[in-house]
Parts: sequence; C-alpha cells; structure tokens
Amino acid sequence: MQTRVDVFDEIFLVFLGLGTLVGIVVISYTLYNAYKYRDVDGREKDEDLPTLGELPTGGGGGRKLFVSFGLSAIVVISLIVWTYGMLLYVEDGPSEDGIEVDVEGYTFAWDFEYENGVTSTGEMAVPVDTTVWIDVTSRDVWHTFGSQELRVKADAIPGETDRTWFIADETGEYRIECFELCGPGHSGMNADLIVMEEDEFQNWLDEQQQGGGDGGSGEGASGDGQQNETDAGNESTDAQNSTNETNGGGES
Amino acid sequence: MAENFPPMTSVKRWFVTTNHKDVGILYLMTALFFLIFGGVMALLFRIQLLEPGGIGILSGSGYNQSVSAHGLLMVFWFLSPFAFGFANYVVPLQIGAKDLAFPRLNALSYWFYLFSGILFAISFFQGGTFEGGWTMYAPLNVPIYTPAMQATTGGTAAILGLTLFVLSTTVGTVNFLTTIHRMRAEGLGLWNMPLFTWSMLLTVWMMLFAFAALLAALLLLSTDRILLTQYFATQQGSSLLWGHLFWFFGHPEVYIVFFPALGMMFEMFQTFTGRRLVGRKWVIIAMVLVAVQSFLVWMHHMFLTAINLEIKTLFMATTIGISLPFDLMVFSLIYTMVKGRVRFTTPFLFSLGALVLFILGGITGVFLGAVVLDYEFRGTYWVVAHFHYVMVSGVTALIGGLYYYWPKITGKMYDEFLGKVNFAVYFVGFNLLYFPMFLAWETPRRVFHYGEGLQIYHQLATLGAFVLGSSFLILFYTLGKSLVSGPDAPDNPWEYARTAEWATTSPPPLENFDGRPTYASGKLEFVDTATDGGTATPGEAARADLERASHDVAQAHGEGHADHASIWPFGIGLGTFVLFLGLSGMTSWVEAFHPEFSSNPSYLYPSITILGVGILGYVLFQFGVEQFEAPEMAVAERWPFEGIETTKLGVWFFLASDVIVFGAVIGAYVFMRINAGWMSWGPIPEHAWAGLLNTYILLTSSFTVVLALEMARRKSKKGLLASMSVTLLLGLTFMGIKAWEWSEKFAHGDYWFSGLEYSLYYVTTGLHGLHVVLGLLLAGFMIYRVLTVDAYLEDSRPVEYFGLYWHFVDVVWVFLFPLFYLL
Repeated sequence: MQTRVDVFDEIFLVFLGLGTLVGIVVISYTLYNAYKYRDVDGREKDEDLPTLGELPTGGGGGRKLFVSFGLSAIVVISLIVWTYGMLLYVEDGPSEDGIEVDVEGYTFAWDFEYENGVTSTGEMAVPVDTTVWIDVTSRDVWHTFGSQELRVKADAIPGETDRTWFIADETGEYRIECFELCGPGHSGMNADLIVMEEDEFQNWLDEQQQGGGDGGSGEGASGDGQQNETDAGNESTDAQNSTNETNGGGES
Repeated sequence: MAENFPPMTSVKRWFVTTNHKDVGILYLMTALFFLIFGGVMALLFRIQLLEPGGIGILSGSGYNQSVSAHGLLMVFWFLSPFAFGFANYVVPLQIGAKDLAFPRLNALSYWFYLFSGILFAISFFQGGTFEGGWTMYAPLNVPIYTPAMQATTGGTAAILGLTLFVLSTTVGTVNFLTTIHRMRAEGLGLWNMPLFTWSMLLTVWMMLFAFAALLAALLLLSTDRILLTQYFATQQGSSLLWGHLFWFFGHPEVYIVFFPALGMMFEMFQTFTGRRLVGRKWVIIAMVLVAVQSFLVWMHHMFLTAINLEIKTLFMATTIGISLPFDLMVFSLIYTMVKGRVRFTTPFLFSLGALVLFILGGITGVFLGAVVLDYEFRGTYWVVAHFHYVMVSGVTALIGGLYYYWPKITGKMYDEFLGKVNFAVYFVGFNLLYFPMFLAWETPRRVFHYGEGLQIYHQLATLGAFVLGSSFLILFYTLGKSLVSGPDAPDNPWEYARTAEWATTSPPPLENFDGRPTYASGKLEFVDTATDGGTATPGEAARADLERASHDVAQAHGEGHADHASIWPFGIGLGTFVLFLGLSGMTSWVEAFHPEFSSNPSYLYPSITILGVGILGYVLFQFGVEQFEAPEMAVAERWPFEGIETTKLGVWFFLASDVIVFGAVIGAYVFMRINAGWMSWGPIPEHAWAGLLNTYILLTSSFTVVLALEMARRKSKKGLLASMSVTLLLGLTFMGIKAWEWSEKFAHGDYWFSGLEYSLYYVTTGLHGLHVVLGLLLAGFMIYRVLTVDAYLEDSRPVEYFGLYWHFVDVVWVFLFPLFYLL
C-alpha cells in the first residue's frame, strides 16, 4: 500500500535529481559561454557586427535553438506525464477500507468529527496503517488543512467540501497547520495529529465519547502562540448515545 | 507653450509636465520609493521569523499587515510601475515618437499611481491596513469575520488605493497600446520593433484584460466593504468567486511583471554581446503565445479546491504548455552569447545574473506543474521561494536596466567598480535570502510558528534579506555619486547598441530627435522636418495628407508647438484621492441604515468625500476645456490600425477593457446564481415592463446620438444642440425610471444588503447606471461647449467618440435587461 509520503518522495526525488542536473548543466553552459566569448583585444574586424540604427534581423542559429527547445520540452512533458499516473492514484485513493473524519476549520482551530459522532478540537487521532479519508470544510473563512510530514493537504473553503486521504505508517505525533492566511491567529492555527495503534484508537474514541468536554482540546493545541481556543470542544459532549459502530476498517 | 515650459530644476515642472521622459523619471523614482517601503516591510517580518514563534516584534495582526503590505507594495506599487517608468522613457524613443499618444493621460496615470500609493500608506494610520494577504482571499477580505478586521477603515482605504492604482494602469495601458500601434517611425513595422518595445506591447495587451478583471473584483470588494453588499461574504460560492476573479488577473500578472524585464534582458544581451538575438522571430512568437495563453492557466492556483480531475488535467496541460516558450527564450539568450564579444559591464552582470536566477526559478516551477507535487507545495515556502526567484530575477534585470539607461536619462556615467560591487552584494544577498527558503519549504506561508528544525534556514534568509537590502544602499550611493560628480555620458556609451534611443543626445531633447526618424531606407535616418515628405512613398504621403486635412486645428498650431504642460492631471489625481479617502470611512454611515448594525458615524469622512467630489468636478471641467496639443506624427507606421484615428483607437481600447469589467461583473452574477441554484431566485425588479421601457429609451437615445453626429458633420448648431439635448433627456428619463424602481424596492425594505440576490441586482445595474451618469455628465459638458464656443462644428470627432461610449452603455443594458428582469 503506497502512502502519500511514498508517492511524494518518489516523484520529488526524481524531480530534484533531474532538476539539479539540468540546472547545473544549463547554468554551467551559460557561464562557460559568457566566459569563453568575453571581449578581448585583437579580434578579427571582419565580423558582421550590429550597428546603431539598423533594422533588426533575426540572428541565425534557429536549428540549434529548436533542438535545445525540443529536448527541454521532451524532458518536461515526459516528467509531467509520468506523474499523471500518480495523480490518478492520489485522486482515487487506495482501495482498502478506511475511516472517515470530517474536518472543519474555523478561526483559529480545527474540529474533527468521527463516524460515530465523536468530536474533538485541536487533536486528531487516527489509527496507524489505515486509510484516513477526510472531508474538509470551513465554518468561516478560507483555511487550508495540511500535515507536511504525512503529505496531506486540502483547502478548507466555506460551502465546499474537499475530500482527500492519507495513511500514517508510523505511530507518533504529527503537526497539523493552516496553509492559507486566515486572520490574526493564522500563524498559530495548529493542531496535533496523533497516530496510534488500532486498539488505542478505539480507547481514545470511547474516552472522547464519555469524557466529553476535556477531550483533546485542552492540551491538544500545540501551545505556542495565541491560540484562540474557543471551547468548541464541548460540543463533543452532546451525548451521542451512539450505536458505537466501531469502524476499524483496514486491519489487514 | 513649449517655450515657457519650466526647466527641470523648477519644482513646478514636475507638477505640470506631460512629457514622457519626465513622467518616466517620476515613475522610476516613485517606484524605487515603494521598493524601499515594501522592503522595510519584508525586513520587519524577516526579523520576526528569526525564532520559531516569532521574536515578538510583531503581533499576529501586525505580522499579517506587514506580509500583506509587502506583497501588495512589491507587486503593484513597485514592479509594474518600475517597468512602466522605463517604458515611459524608452518606448517612444525606441519607436521614434515624440511622446505618447495622450500625454495628459500619461501624466494622469502617474498621478493616480502616486496618490494610490499615498492612500495605501495612509491606511496604516486608519486603524491598520489590509491584512488579508496580497491575494485578498474571500471571505477574509470582508469585514465581518475577524474581530481585527472590524477596524475596516484602513483595510478599505488599502483596497480603494489598489483600485485607484488599477485605474492608473488602465489609463496607461490604453495610452501605450495606442502609442505603439499608431506612432512608430516610418519603416518600423511591428516585426522590426526593438524587443523591449515588443515586450511592453504584449505586457499592455495582457494588462488591458487582466487588470480589467481585477478592477471588477476590486469594485465588488469595495461595495462589499463600503455598502455592505454580500458578494464575498456568503458561505456559498464567495470564496471561489474571488479565487476565479483574482487568479484570472493574477496569473497573467506574473507575465505582466516579468515581460518588461525579459525585454530589458534581450536589449542588454544584444548590446553587451555584440550579437543579434538568436531566433528573434521565434522569440517574438513565443512571447505572443505566452501572452495569449496566460489567460488559460489561472485555475492551477486552485488545484487544491474541490475542482474535478478533468479540469485539473486541462489546466495542468496549459500550465506545462505555457512554460515551454520560456525554455526557447532562455536558450535564445544563451546562444546569443556564442561568438559574441561579451563585456561584463554592470548592466550585463545584472542581466546574466537575472538569467541564472530565472533558470532556477523556472526549474523549481516545473515541480509545481506536477499536480501531485503541487498538492504538497501549496501554501508553503516552496511557492514563496519559486516566485521570488522568478519575480526578483525580473527585478534583477530591471536594476540592470537602470544602469543601462542611467547615462541616457541623466547624461552622466556611473562608476563601474561601484556598480560591480553592487551586483556582487546583490547576487549574494539574493541567494542567501531566497535559496534557504527551498530548504525550509515545509514552512507554511505567512506564519511565524514554524518547525524547530527549520530555524537555521530562516535565520540565513533573514541575514540574506539584510545583505540584499544593503545592496540597494550601494545602488543609491553609486547613482547619487554619478549625479554629483560623474563624467558626462556620450550619446551612445555602449558599443553595439542598435536601437534608436542611442541615436539621440543624452539626455534627449524635449521632443526626442532633431528631425523626423525614419527607417524607410532600411536603417535609421533623420529627415529634416522642414522638407518633410520628400522621402516618403507616394501612398504614405497621400495618407499623411489625409491625416493633415482632418487635423487642421492641430496643424494651425503647427508641429513643434506641441504642449508639454498641464496641471489638471495632477488636479484629477488629487481630487480622486480625496474622494477615495473620504469613501474609505463611509462604511459606518451605511451601517447606520442597516438593521443589523448600530453605529455612531462621524461627519469627518462624508465631509472629505464631498470635498473630493467638489475638487474632482472643478478639475475635470478645467481638463475638458483646456487647449492641449499633443505632439502629432504626420507620418508613421500604424499597422493594423491605419484606418482608425488616434483618439478613436484609444476609445476602442478603453471600451475593450470596460467589456471585461462588465463581463466579470455579469460573470459573477451568473456564477453566484448557478451556485445558489438558478431557479431559487426570481427576478428582483417588480415590473418587467419598466425594464423594457428603459430598454426602448436607451435604444432611442443611441439613435439621437447618431443624429447628433450627423448634425455636427453638417455644421448645424441647432440640430446638434437639439439631438444632444434629447439624448440627455432620454438618459435622465432612464435614470428617473430606475430611481422609481429602486425607491419602490426600498419601500419594501429590500436594500442591496438584504441578501446576495439583492446585492447582485443593485450592484450590476448600479454599475451600469454609473456609466449612464458619466455619459450624461459628458453630454451635459458637450452641450455647454456647443453653447459657449460652438464646439464640434469644425471637428465632429468628439461627438463620435461620445457616441461610441453611449452605444456601448446601451449594449450592456441589452444584456442586463433579460438577465435581471426576465430570467
């Protein structure tokens, strides 16, 4: 099962390698030409030099120009076409079952709602090695939900729902940040993404359901900066006498 | 008038001048001021970024203000105007014109520009400037969402400042398009134009349409902020509406700011390698392709919104497509050096540096073209680093251009050694500032809470920012020293320069050349104006005679007695500035009428608004009655607009941009209505018959304007007066019916802020109504001129231009009527 981290790493490395190579070759060639054809005394005078007031004529070298242009076009186009297959994979997502989380951004925090109605603010817990589908939207202004380490990102736009997915293949704490300027608290609009083992995750869900208010929210916010912590975390107390549908999903 | 034109040392000169070279200098100096302004903003937030979480010199809101102001200032108030400064100075010289087509309008663009910047600066002191980022995403750009934004006056002033700036570019765009298309020296076909002029031509073509879309977006945003309409305040579609409008402008804008720099690089590469550009024809074709295609890539800025895969694929393809012509241009520059005589002067160093930086910017841009990678790069420092490499490589080329044209503009040489030191510090500072951003790419944009591991890169970048900043101190010192004690510059200080600006004195005389420049023989020559016509081909001479016949008023003054001074452009700039300053504080007055708000408005801003209207009325009238003869070109290349008189062409260009403004506003209506479900609203107006009646009234008024032109041609004063007066009356009737319709709505409590559908109705028809009112003011002025000075009987063309505008306004109504009254 390919995670988005895998997809990104693979493409990024190829791009970085080729980009560095092309950059070095082209820039070296540029500087080499500039140096090689530097003006020195004692050049032949019979060259066809430009004169003031002449009407421009296209310099020659058209073939060389087109060969270079053609090469660069082939490199760029083939690279992009190659990534297109990956794009289709990312768009469709892995075929395995997973869990679904509704993500809602608001100034300046994130709310997460799970399939069984459990909600949490500032802290998103997900099981490891499971496809997590997120439906991202916003309550007020344009935010962008993203976690760099897991290579997942989605615009949170009021009135729109942006659906995407990710898989965390290691437990631990990751950082959720806002990637679109959303107001004075934008800079500190972070949340924690906690990846845990499947059974831990079930416990966490149960805890959220019972414990309610103190949920993840209190210590969940990453602390630094002026987190405008509304106590929206309390919403999770809305005692969902839930049918406790534990959708563990992809423990394969 | 040319005789008593004040000298350059007189302060008065700089307020009244309409000469393109003076205006160019004003543009350049003002742009450099805004570079410092925007640069200081950048230094502020770079200091804040020294530690994760910020070192505390800026609050969250202060940080957002400085980030937003930095972006807006650099993109709008520095980059484009800096290029426009060069364009003002150089383009007429390169094409052999004496001035721009509309010198007073050129001065007006400058004053709009300066005053727009002043308004923006004032916004900092009106409770804080706009802090929603330079992309101004909705709905953060309207006041209701965040508490800090409730101090709306400063934010509104910033938006209005930007609107005024866009008005400035619109006027400038029309001027340059007309100039380049109609005022080229004999024998200088479009193909043969120097590449800087080519790049400017394509730039202004893109600007004409792109900035019109931005103007529409800003007008809607301004009504949201001042009149409390709801375009960008809803939870349905507002964000995406802004995204589409903004990026339809925003992506062409990238090329708009980069093309002039590219043109400058082409010029400097050719001069300092002593070679002609390799594949010149293909380079021009590539630039034209980019200019056209730039309007088809905007949605790649919205890949992460919920757009579907097909659209993503389409825009991925167009995006990759638009990057390829740049490969050709880069290779052309590289190959131009081959077998050349490369001289490492300061301008060339800056051009070569710009090329290297642009290559890096281009390669990192390909990463963003791959949608999968774009998903991860969106909103990160990768984007920041990439577009700074691209845009600031453009700045690099333009700094080179400043050195290149410095001797021409000032008549003084600069110190090469200092120039090279400047380049070295600049280049090191640039890379120290922007390269670490690639390494710190995981940082989200516009935050100061970044991951601990990225601190070293941000510290390096901050250091680089100061190095880059200090390179500008060297620049100013070098140029200042040159002014004070630099040796005099020859006409052409650069060996192998070819273009016409180097064939005149440094600095050039008021009307640029002694004698009329012509390329009729295949190379630049100057024809003695006294015996003009001798070298022209018969066909052209005949055409020139025709022009003369239609210009007898101008000819009475004779060529060479053109005017170069008018104070009224300054006056219009000032009046508009005062008006906009007043409007920025009017929101609280609208709130006072709004059922959901309570406010206690002061009388300060209404007083300023009324003062602005008063000044504007007075100066516009004076501008209208002033006798002003622009320098004429009796013989010129005008393809493809030989048959269209200069002012008429200007009117056409203006109307073309207005089509886009209305297109965007009507598009916004359609977009929002589809988003809400088309049939969920009925027509807002009560009576379709009222709209139909108004349609007939406007169509009839179009007929009377045609009649007015015919009467003017027949030199019938009575007929002209009668038909113009009927037009005026019909227009007033139209507005009267509209006022009745609106007041009936108001009586039912349906205001423009009562709901999105009401906003759309009132604003769209209101914008049209505003056009009608402007037309009526013009018509009233023209009737006054006929009564007082028998105007238009000798020269009926102004009646024709008015007619063009009036017909356009009518045609717009023909679209609005079914959209709002029937569907």
